[in-house]
Amino acid sequence: MRILIVEDEPDLLRSLAQALREEGYAVDTANNGEDGLFNAEGCDYDAIVLDVMLPKLDGWEILKRLRKTKKTPVLMLTARDQSRDRVRGLDTGADDYVVKPFDLSELFARLRALIRRSANKTTNVIEIGDVKIETAARNVSLQERPVELTAREYALVEFLALHRGEVVTRTQLYEHLFDENESSLSNLLDVHVSNVRKKLGAEFIVTRRGHGYCIE
Amino acid sequence: MKIPKSIKWRLQIWYGLILVIVLAGFGVTAYQLERGRLFGRIDNELHRRVGILANALHRPPPRALGGNEQPFDRPPPGQFPDDGPPGQNLRPPLEFHLPPEAAGLFDTNDPNSFYFAIVSFRADAKAKEIARSTNFPNPPFNISIATESARAINAFSQLPVKLTAPTVQIIGNYREIDSLLPSGEMIYVGCSIAPELKELRRTALNLTAVGSLVLLIGLAGGWWLVSRAIRSIENISAAAVKISAGDLSQRINVAETESELGKLASVLNSTFARLDAAFAQQKQFASDAAHELRTPVSVILTQTQTALNRERTVPEYRETVEACQRAAQRMRKLIGALLELARLDAGQEQMKRMKFDLSQTTRSCVELIQPIADEHGIKIRCELPSLECVGDSERIAQVITNLLTNAIQFNKPDGEIRVAAQMRDGTAILAVSDTGLGIPAEDLPHVFKRFYRGDKSRTGGNTGLGLAISRAIVEAHGGSIEVSSGEDAGTTFTVRLPAA
Repeated sequence: MRILIVEDEPDLLRSLAQALREEGYAVDTANNGEDGLFNAEGCDYDAIVLDVMLPKLDGWEILKRLRKTKKTPVLMLTARDQSRDRVRGLDTGADDYVVKPFDLSELFARLRALIRRSANKTTNVIEIGDVKIETAARNVSLQERPVELTAREYALVEFLALHRGEVVTRTQLYEHLFDENESSLSNLLDVHVSNVRKKLGAEFIVTRRGHGYCIE
Repeated sequence: MKIPKSIKWRLQIWYGLILVIVLAGFGVTAYQLERGRLFGRIDNELHRRVGILANALHRPPPRALGGNEQPFDRPPPGQFPDDGPPGQNLRPPLEFHLPPEAAGLFDTNDPNSFYFAIVSFRADAKAKEIARSTNFPNPPFNISIATESARAINAFSQLPVKLTAPTVQIIGNYREIDSLLPSGEMIYVGCSIAPELKELRRTALNLTAVGSLVLLIGLAGGWWLVSRAIRSIENISAAAVKISAGDLSQRINVAETESELGKLASVLNSTFARLDAAFAQQKQFASDAAHELRTPVSVILTQTQTALNRERTVPEYRETVEACQRAAQRMRKLIGALLELARLDAGQEQMKRMKFDLSQTTRSCVELIQPIADEHGIKIRCELPSLECVGDSERIAQVITNLLTNAIQFNKPDGEIRVAAQMRDGTAILAVSDTGLGIPAEDLPHVFKRFYRGDKSRTGGNTGLGLAISRAIVEAHGGSIEVSSGEDAGTTFTVRLPAA
């Protein structure tokens, strides 16, 4: 899962990015509106965390322009909790909002829900054969036995599971699992796929030669 | 009795009382006048008849009774005892003969007509009736005889008779006059006043009826008037109640601006409007202040929650603590600025009124800020002739420092700041100009507003209150602060202060 954070307060931006990375997300950051919009338009993020008060372009403007081309789920960070502002945010095309100051756990939960909804899933549990994925707790189990996955491996499994039945290209996987700072070494993805197969069974992830990967 | 608290009822009671008193006074006077008129007419008739009856009394021709018999008109003074013992008074009784032309005055068959009786009182205290009309009502006569005889006897016990004024009195349905003649005869003349009494009763009844009607109309009219007057007050109080309940948008419907209440309503309305505006401003300010505090709090929450998620290395903890400290510093700065503004708003901040040299104060501010300007490669040029001002030099220094800080922050790299002071028309003028990008025309009217920032962000770490505080300080000195700016032409802030 790859997330963009647009926030102009450097300390907040840094710690948010760190916390989300530790949750297993690939995180890109932008500290002003222009960069934020540029990133948001140029890449398929799974979700965008967007502050309202930004230099150069404010959050409303970014949202308005972004909605012309993309349907990326957007979670607005706002310091105003008046319903007028919330209504405006939701009407402009935001998918959710969090009022500052917020709890990280709440922000995470809302992000998970956003990503789940955008993949048309309604529950936190995805079952594929013997494999059960609980997206809230980020647990994966095989035949009722818990399986230890690294954050990146879990992200891979979750992304493929959310797009079950679809062929996901390697590019897509790189876009969603790695942020812009990570060098996209082509074999890094293969390492993760092979590790997941070892833990959840060789047939869990199917390789479509020349196309990508798929969970059936 | 408990007096009602309502003004409406009190007014009603008061003028009801006044109306009753006025009407009662008027009614009683009218009644008395009517009564006087009626009885005066009767009394005249009675007096006339007394005169006629008195004239109808004749002394019989003197008989030869010895030489000492004299015509008796009145017992000569001092001679009464010589008349011998009481009961042996030789004075002959008068004879009564009513002349025929006067007989018509007494219809002796009509019990309601005038009646009379003449009684002679002798010194032996025996009353002797000389004449009496047939229609003389018995009981009043007897009563009056009984009482009046005693009075007369008293009078006669010491002749000569002291003449008393004829007394008129009402006995039952009769009005009667008794007149004591000098000769010792008492004439009673009376008549029935039943018709007059009846008329008086009718008059009284009429007066009461008219009075009651006037009273009712008065009370009803008064109630209407008072209700009308009170309704305006009720409108006002209804609006005031809603406002005190928190609905500051309420206004009194001012229909009659000409009346006293209309004026009151207008005054109240303008007060409400000012209150409303002040409340809205306060609300906006509080909301802005809360909003400004939310971001540093978010930083602290996010930093600490991230750090606590797992074990961290010492440098990581250090970084977290530093970020928290920065956030806390920012909050402290903001809280300080908020408190200062609140004090300035409340007028609690006392400005000293001391003479000081504006240029000298400015120079020391420039010296203080020079290192920061050097960091940004910005030159500060000063034109500062000596200028005497009155005020609080420390607070003015705060304003100047703030303007200089802004001029550095919004200047272009390697730019220039020009600080110039001059005296014009008794006003000290200090201008701080930068060579920055300038302020867009649409932002210009708002730069002194609280939390107003041109770029809608928090970059630079300023509170967004600096210019608002500067303006409050300058205005507390009786001065003014202005801004002028052109795109790419830099920005000039001009402070005007009253000179010494």
